[in-house]
Amino acid sequence: MTLDMPSIPLTVLVLVGVGSPALLLAVLGIASLLNRPLPERWTGALAGSSMAIACAALLMAFVVYGMTGTGTQFLSYGAWSSSHEGGIAIEFLVDRLSLAFAALSTAIAGVVSAFSNRYLHREPGYNRYFVLLAMFVTGMLLVALAGNVAVLFIGWELVGLSSALLVAFFQERPAAVSNAFRVLSVYRISDAAMLSAAVLLRHVAGTDSLSLLFGGAAPSAALTATNATIIAILLIVAVAGKSALLPFSSWLPRAMEGPTPSSAVYYGSLSIHAGCFLLLRAAPLLEQAPAARLLAGGLGAATALFAGTTTRVQSDVKSSLAYASLTQVGIIVTEIALGWYTLAFIHLAGHASFRLLQFLSAPNVLHDLHGLEDAIGDHASADGDHLTVVRSDRARRRLFLIALERGFLDSILDRVVIEPFMRLAGLLTRLDQWLCLTRVAVAVDEGDQDE
Amino acid sequence: MSDARLWLAVLVALPALVSGASYLRVDVERLRRLAVASAIAMLLAALVIPLSPPLRGFSIRTSALTQAPEGEELIRIDTLSGALLPFAAGLWLLTVAVTPRAALDRRGLRRTALATLLTVMSFLTESAVVLLLLSVASVGMFLSALADPAHRYQRRVVAVYLGASTLLFAVGVALLVGPGVQNTTIETVAMWLIVVAALVRKGIVPFHAWVPEVFDHGRLGPAILFNAPQVGAYMTVVLIVPRASPEMLRTIALLALGTAVYGAALALVQRSARRACGYLFMSQSALVMAGLDCTSVTALAGGLVVWLSAGLGFAGLARCVLVLEARRGRLDLTSYHGGYDRMPVLAISFLAMGLACTGFPGTLGFIGQELLVDGAVGVFPVMGFAVVIASALTGLAVLRMYFSLFCGRSGVLAHPSLRLGLRPREAWTFVAIVIALIGLGLVPRPLVDSRFDASDEILRLRQERMSGR
Repeated sequence: MTLDMPSIPLTVLVLVGVGSPALLLAVLGIASLLNRPLPERWTGALAGSSMAIACAALLMAFVVYGMTGTGTQFLSYGAWSSSHEGGIAIEFLVDRLSLAFAALSTAIAGVVSAFSNRYLHREPGYNRYFVLLAMFVTGMLLVALAGNVAVLFIGWELVGLSSALLVAFFQERPAAVSNAFRVLSVYRISDAAMLSAAVLLRHVAGTDSLSLLFGGAAPSAALTATNATIIAILLIVAVAGKSALLPFSSWLPRAMEGPTPSSAVYYGSLSIHAGCFLLLRAAPLLEQAPAARLLAGGLGAATALFAGTTTRVQSDVKSSLAYASLTQVGIIVTEIALGWYTLAFIHLAGHASFRLLQFLSAPNVLHDLHGLEDAIGDHASADGDHLTVVRSDRARRRLFLIALERGFLDSILDRVVIEPFMRLAGLLTRLDQWLCLTRVAVAVDEGDQDE
Repeated sequence: MSDARLWLAVLVALPALVSGASYLRVDVERLRRLAVASAIAMLLAALVIPLSPPLRGFSIRTSALTQAPEGEELIRIDTLSGALLPFAAGLWLLTVAVTPRAALDRRGLRRTALATLLTVMSFLTESAVVLLLLSVASVGMFLSALADPAHRYQRRVVAVYLGASTLLFAVGVALLVGPGVQNTTIETVAMWLIVVAALVRKGIVPFHAWVPEVFDHGRLGPAILFNAPQVGAYMTVVLIVPRASPEMLRTIALLALGTAVYGAALALVQRSARRACGYLFMSQSALVMAGLDCTSVTALAGGLVVWLSAGLGFAGLARCVLVLEARRGRLDLTSYHGGYDRMPVLAISFLAMGLACTGFPGTLGFIGQELLVDGAVGVFPVMGFAVVIASALTGLAVLRMYFSLFCGRSGVLAHPSLRLGLRPREAWTFVAIVIALIGLGLVPRPLVDSRFDASDEILRLRQERMSGR
């Protein structure tokens, strides 16, 4: 642990910032496991206080860091798993970017927590929601402040699992559950890509310190241009999965099955930007890998174009807002690829806050709209025309169909990935059964097998 | 010395006591209470060993069963067994505490006690001959669990696969302990025979087909108890790792990694919850094998940690399936069953134990897999990528099972009058396992350090043998 004077309060403040939601997760999680959920007023108060403490600590850390201004700092809290070679070290990489994003995350989570406390009042899954929200905030803070791949991955996984379980929040609905599984499937691809990047980084550079990728350490000779490009491409796949960039965008409307506050915090403001933030952190790596940078830029621009078109034809407000978010995410990714890092971060922070407001106010807006329609006795919507910027009727109809079907991404994914995988797995399962039958070489009574 | 003998006597006497009591005319529920009390006592006694360093140096050495001039340890307590003994006791406790009443009988309780006794005795010896004898006994006991006509086919499958494995093991051991075997081709042949025997016992591809079949259509309880302790992994550590050539270890590791991915992929698409459990077990136990067959201290320590986390997590997960089956009948994963609201502790425990199996952060499985990847990536990067893919797929498989078994339906596929919630005995057992998996995941240092010590010891032994050649 670094013991020079300026870093002592920073170390403590960051620890309090991350530890506060983690403690909330532990308290609410243990209560759930023992089937003794806390009363609503306690849960709400604990969640609110925890977010407030975390936000205050991280804002103070931001101020302290700004006052000392000594560049990127590496905070080490010792080894978690082992005193021997290797193992997992608890390390945070602290700079203006990471502290600002962490503070923003806790502020947004605090707002959502206060909103949810009323919105989900007497909902059967109230306690479960706050357990998952605490898990999410802990994960986001770890992603924001991670100093090594292991810590980053822990945060990434916590965000992914809490996201999928919140999509399935109304777990008595089959659609919610099947959509949650679909979302999780894409997240697992993203997780696998990130871990593969980590494995490669460890293999070529012998370290999992993110200072090598995110700046703050001298470039390693082992990290050649080719290696840097492969690692960067794997990170872009991870980012694409988490931020719903093409070709993984189809999970986004499915994720809207969750309650509105969770949609707001995940797909409006924080989780969907986690990928952008990671890309922003990995800017030094991208600069070493022009091909990967080009790929990121292309993906970002294509996603913005696709989502911008798709959002215009959605028939429900949450999907429309989700695709509108995705449009901005695509633009942010393009900005990062172009090297406009400051603009990208300001865009990210502004968009996250604005979209949060839109998502949270959407139910009220709809309520008011329905009240208005009841009063005038007619629909208050526009003429129903879409994509009028396209002049040709035929082209407009085609574009409309593509946008309405969300780029046919789901059916493409089904045909290209899921169906072949299922066929192969089915074949292998039958092969296993056949191996049992033939190797044993006994006359089998079918009735026996079905017992 | 006498203290160690006393503790060993306690470890052996408790399951023997339950086994003996099962012959008396005692009420089955009362016998279960005795078994639960004995398992708790055994767990506490087994926990004393890793916490008390003087006990760990105990051994009884003999050269009666080996040609090695220095002899071998017939009975020993070392760092490796220090964690395996509580693990075996924990599995016994899990089995007797959560076995549904309808499936409870005197013979079953006797079998679980004897199976635990055999497992504990296996973990206490390094003698190939003793391991062979215990292996024969445990396979025989597993076969006896499938003796009823309903499981005739599965009994034959097990008899063929595990019979072949035992036969190969026996021939291998006979060659290994024969005169003048050291440093000769005979030793290599013996080693390959033992390797194949261990691969069959562990269900490594292409010798795996019996595992999903027995889990699916055989009796799940005995299958869990036979497989979860992973005696095949112990055979690998004690007999194979110290003697095998690097090429042999690499071959085993590659087969194990292939199995890890294969099992995870197939677990994801199964219709039957039991069969999915079988493939999950294959995948997880293969990861253990991959770690054990890597000559890096860190990877080996990772393998030893995954051994405990996957064994405990998997056994808990499969026991949850059994508990659910007792309430709902056979579980089909192609439909949603609902019921989270009526059995939240079981649902949360199932999810937590499943996630521990997949190496989710905050659980012991994460620590093990992280060490596995960390240790192997420098010398064997393929392992890193295979672990990543297997982990991603098993995570999906576990969540699919969770969603199917506990969500997706407002009611529940059971009669409303049926009590679905867990009994306190069941609930506390599952909660204890979850707390152990998460607690050791959050504070892993003591366990990880002891696994590093064990892997140091294993590799030191290997180095000594290799340099002796």
